[in-house]
Amino acid sequence: MKSTTQNQTYTRSMAFHVPVNSQPQSVSKWLLLIGLILSVYMLTLQPVMAHGEKNLEPYVRMRTIQWYDVQWSKQKFNVNEEVTVTGKFHVAEDWPISVPKPDAAFLNISTPGPVLIRTERYLNGKPFMNSVALLPGGDYDFKVVLKGRLPGHYHIHPFFNLRDAGQVMGPGAWLDITGNEADFSNNVQTINGEMIDMETYGLSNGIFWHSFWALLGTAWLLWWVRRPLFIARYRMLQAGLENELITPLDRNIGKAILIGVPVLVLVFYTITVNKYPKAIPLQTSLDQILPLPAKVNAGVVEVETLRAEYRIPERSMKLSLKIKNGSDKPIQIGEFATGSVRFLNKVVPEPDQSNTESVVAAEGLSLDNLTPIQPGEQRTVLLTAGDALWESERLDGLINDADSRIGGLLFFFDPDGERYISSITSAVIPKFN
Amino acid sequence: MSANLSNRIFRPYTGEKARIARAYDYLVLVLALFLFIGSFHLHFALTVGDWDFWVDWKDRQWWPAVTPLMGITFPAAVQAVLWTNFRLPLGATLCVACLSIGTWIARIFAYHMWNYFPINMVLPSTLLPSALVLDAVLMMSNSLTVTAIFGGSAFALLFYPSNWPIFGMFHVPVEAGNSQMTVADMFGFQYIRTGMPEYLRIIERGTLRTYGQVAAPLSAFFSALLSTLMYALWWFIGKWFATTRYLKRI
Ligand SMILES: [Cu+2]
Repeated sequence: MKSTTQNQTYTRSMAFHVPVNSQPQSVSKWLLLIGLILSVYMLTLQPVMAHGEKNLEPYVRMRTIQWYDVQWSKQKFNVNEEVTVTGKFHVAEDWPISVPKPDAAFLNISTPGPVLIRTERYLNGKPFMNSVALLPGGDYDFKVVLKGRLPGHYHIHPFFNLRDAGQVMGPGAWLDITGNEADFSNNVQTINGEMIDMETYGLSNGIFWHSFWALLGTAWLLWWVRRPLFIARYRMLQAGLENELITPLDRNIGKAILIGVPVLVLVFYTITVNKYPKAIPLQTSLDQILPLPAKVNAGVVEVETLRAEYRIPERSMKLSLKIKNGSDKPIQIGEFATGSVRFLNKVVPEPDQSNTESVVAAEGLSLDNLTPIQPGEQRTVLLTAGDALWESERLDGLINDADSRIGGLLFFFDPDGERYISSITSAVIPKFN
Repeated sequence: MSANLSNRIFRPYTGEKARIARAYDYLVLVLALFLFIGSFHLHFALTVGDWDFWVDWKDRQWWPAVTPLMGITFPAAVQAVLWTNFRLPLGATLCVACLSIGTWIARIFAYHMWNYFPINMVLPSTLLPSALVLDAVLMMSNSLTVTAIFGGSAFALLFYPSNWPIFGMFHVPVEAGNSQMTVADMFGFQYIRTGMPEYLRIIERGTLRTYGQVAAPLSAFFSALLSTLMYALWWFIGKWFATTRYLKRI
């Protein structure tokens, strides 16, 4: 900008050029920035609500939280109606070295937003509101009570958020919430006995205070914006007319703000403190809940994994197991479960313990010897868990992991339907042909 | 050019010139509005993040420390431009007003309508009282140093008390699951967030924990100290951004 604006004819285009020197930047630089910001902005606004069942590495899914017997009390219910999900899980003894120990774990429900609310949650029969430390090798059962909030058809899983490790999904189920969104109500009783509506509590109060300050802020902005702004003020400033830019009235208003705003803030603060004298800080604590008496590896049936081979062309895992039946009845292997896939032995009719659609290979489990293991007998069994699910559930990636060990649960049944569960773990050897 | 002008009698624009200058004012204002709504809100969401999103993350330690510290950035930069070039003492209020607009839009559309959270669970905090005082300090003092020290401190110190009228009522205790919780904690427990487990909240960690009742004022003073430095830093960022030197080389 070299022209002095004085002696030249003033054209529109020049009007836009005059302040370039003074003015923050040409319009194009700003537009570029706006475009960039808006595009990043739109990306971050996208709700991150993906399921992520298969996201974690196979060894993490197989050797951390081992879910079973997950059951929904019902799969079709109304808005405002309660539904319960119960289930059990074993925390693998062979917890992967690369995954932080489960010192803070949060039993969660995967939902697309709060289409349900969680009203109660129990671990081993004890209510828990925060996170909990889990013990490797421990057995737990859980119960979560939920209440329908938004009608719809949803696939929902219980899962664990593990600190610094990620989300380990339990089996999912389709839930249908019917009825009318407007019927939803959620009242909570405070310690004073007051019933509050969680859907609206504090909303109008919050809007009031935001409006109050917005009003003052807008008044201040309008006070300045009503005058000629950038070009005029820039010229006056350059001309040394600084004193005319801030009038005595402006300075008085400034004083009023300097004194008035802090005083108002303190007055409103004091009023609120007196209105809610029992206010407490946000609560946080780790709930202390010990494991149940052993359910898995309870000592009746003992299993040792001798060798695990994964045959890539056949997509099958061959497990060589040394099994000792310490019960007083013959037992058979009915199921092998790993990483949320269940391989069933069709010759052993298993009482159905679950109404979730866990991923099932109905005939995926076969044995080299089908005769039941007699009481007191010790036998080495060759178990084959074969199905394309190894691939579709992305569990076969195991052989490419740094930690290529498998973990899972074996379910034994005796003729009376009694169930014994053992966990297995072993390094996996790939067979390429 | 300035020497040129000041030697003569200053003649304000009239007629067509004044009209065009005014149009230019509005153009810049509208652009600034969109720019700040987008950029400041994004900056805020990325830095303060969950501590400003959720009612059960607005604790008495981290929240009053980090919010003013990140909230003073854009106001300082915009003040640097608007005050040094135009003697307009509205940079902070303008930025924070834009932040509020952006935040409310995000809370209503992204959190409430797309992800079904009740709005009261994601109420924004306000920095407007802080911003008004910051603008007034700059106008009265006409000094970077005074504004950084006194304005920056006031900006941080006013934050917690000015938000307590909005959030105090969420700290009423509730008995649930054999434990005492606040209403805010109940929101976190009941309204399911899949990626937001409870243990992620940094609450009462580190040395401040031992100060118990005075944790919030202590956090505010800590934030005031840092905000002073942050103000000065962003003032210079603002000045740097407002130069054409770098653009001309392109
Ligand atoms: Cu699913």
